[in-house]
Amino acid sequence: MARALLPLALVGAFLIVAPPFLDLGWQNALINILIASLFALAFNLLAGQAGLLSFGHAAYFGVGAFAALHLMARIEDGLGFPTPLLPLAGAAAGLLIGLVAGFFATMRSGVYFALVTLAIAELFHSLAPHWQGVFGGEAGLSSMRMPWGGLIFGSLIEVYYLTLAWVALSILLLWGLTRTPFGRLALALRDNEQRVRFLGYNAHITKVIIFAISAMFSGVAGALQAISNETANYVLFASGVSAQVVLYTFVGGATIFFGPVVGAVIFTLFAYLVSDLTRSWLLYQGLIFVLVMLYAPNGLGGLIHQHLRHRGQLDWSRLARPYAQATLGSLLVAAAAIFLIETLAVVFSRDYAVARRDAGGGFPAYEVFGLNWTPLSPVPWLLPLALFAAGLWLILQARHPIGTLWQRVRAGSEPDVNPS
Amino acid sequence: MTEALLELNGIAKSFGSISVLQEVNLDVRSRERHAVIGPNGAGKSTLFNLISGMFAPTSGTIRLQERPIGGLPPHVINRAGLARSFQITSNFRRLSVFENLRLGVLARHGIRYGLFRPVSRMRAVNEETAELLSIVGLERRAHDMAGDLTYSEQRALEIGMTLTTRASVILLDEPTAGMSRDETDQTVELIRKVTTDKTLLMIEHDMSVVFSLCDRVSVLVYGSILATDTPPAISANAEVQKAYLGEETAT
Repeated sequence: MARALLPLALVGAFLIVAPPFLDLGWQNALINILIASLFALAFNLLAGQAGLLSFGHAAYFGVGAFAALHLMARIEDGLGFPTPLLPLAGAAAGLLIGLVAGFFATMRSGVYFALVTLAIAELFHSLAPHWQGVFGGEAGLSSMRMPWGGLIFGSLIEVYYLTLAWVALSILLLWGLTRTPFGRLALALRDNEQRVRFLGYNAHITKVIIFAISAMFSGVAGALQAISNETANYVLFASGVSAQVVLYTFVGGATIFFGPVVGAVIFTLFAYLVSDLTRSWLLYQGLIFVLVMLYAPNGLGGLIHQHLRHRGQLDWSRLARPYAQATLGSLLVAAAAIFLIETLAVVFSRDYAVARRDAGGGFPAYEVFGLNWTPLSPVPWLLPLALFAAGLWLILQARHPIGTLWQRVRAGSEPDVNPS
Repeated sequence: MTEALLELNGIAKSFGSISVLQEVNLDVRSRERHAVIGPNGAGKSTLFNLISGMFAPTSGTIRLQERPIGGLPPHVINRAGLARSFQITSNFRRLSVFENLRLGVLARHGIRYGLFRPVSRMRAVNEETAELLSIVGLERRAHDMAGDLTYSEQRALEIGMTLTTRASVILLDEPTAGMSRDETDQTVELIRKVTTDKTLLMIEHDMSVVFSLCDRVSVLVYGSILATDTPPAISANAEVQKAYLGEETAT
């Protein structure tokens, strides 16, 4: 327990101490990371813990954002509501809409459940632009953060600490929930809904409550985003927002409480750092998702968890070499993939088509990574191929020793003793 | 005591045009151990599914302590005092053995949607769970995942889970299926122990289990009850022999 708390305490200390020393871009990135983490954890209560995969969680995130903006507008008009408590509006709206939507969606499980949630989010997405009074039409709603009790909320750092406080409180509540009878019931529901019924539980009511709580915390996340951006429009209800949270959760690991946070941090950072560098960043994000699902189905959080759990039995003197080999191999494969994708992005771009026309249909040289390449020479194609082959060879070499070492660890370990 | 605790009258069930049960009449008396036997496809599991609320009967009435329960949802029937096990092991495989049992105990204590207190601090619930754990002999496995248990341990857990809600009527669906002789004997003793003061209705193929455990037997053949009597009388019943036991006793 104490060991588990140490990394949390370090992360917490960093989040409290560091931001004033960071520039605005990073402060904003941290706000987005916190919001994405909360959204992913709220989503995972439903998807990972109760086994109900929703494809429409944008609806509750968006509802929370619009509710907060409406309240912000009232405060602007003179309502005496404390600005720091704005996320309560998001929570209330998320809970309410979650109860109604959840009542219908949870009548079914599995694919049908997923499709109903998707349809509900699409409903919001298509209605919002027309309901100008509620969602502000296509332009959306905007409002200003009003000062309250000495807090101006004019600077980003104040918004950051407000976000941090709400996210920390919400995560604490979500974690506490997993320790309650209801939290355990959610896990049971995921394993065997039928048996839950035959133990005397009303499975439908159970699912509605889980859905509503998940929607409530998604609403808090949405409200925090509205407070940070001071604006929101119907794009918040887009299926891309729903897909994003699925991505966070499953890349991070749905079976571990903090797994979705790992995914949210990685992808939010990725978007912040990589989206400026290349237009193909969504493609890279998709590739990461596919690779994680194929080779680490329990997510990156699952990988970390597995290593922490067996840290006593891991023989690093023997694991280090194959791990280093595999890492180097992965880097080479990644370099090959990036080079190829960037090359294709240039060669198939409009600019290059124009350049070709100017060159009279030939294949003029182009620039990738600050160097000039000619498409008809074998170099730009053989280079990634060679990198890929070398990387793959290294990975395949490392695979066997890693497999055997882990097999030994698993065979030698006692059954997982994990009282709760 | 001859009054019926569980009473089925004219129960019929069809799925579309396929009729599985026709006119089933069955009385299970208070505190008796009652077996349902019959060839494969006779409708035994369907009968259990009707009694426990998985399906509603097409026609007929089911009464539990004189209260009609036919067509009620499973959780309502469970709360009325009837618990069942499943033929195919049906536990929460990614939860610990302890937690599997505790979920039932929580339901019995009415803590169904407890949101505000950690379950680890609910002493009465945890003590009762520990007690059940020792009754079914799984103390050593308390903190292992239910999915990691051996087959016979899973069957013991399955029986344990039907006890968690302290139902007065227990339905066991082939509790000894697939077990070795030794395991079967142990399971019979376990069932005997845990159904003292309770009413048991079980589906069973193994005639030696039926003989050693049950007070009465009903024979279900082609969707209706052929006869209900004590085990010796049933094995002497010519009609039953012809319809069902005949194939086995002839060898």
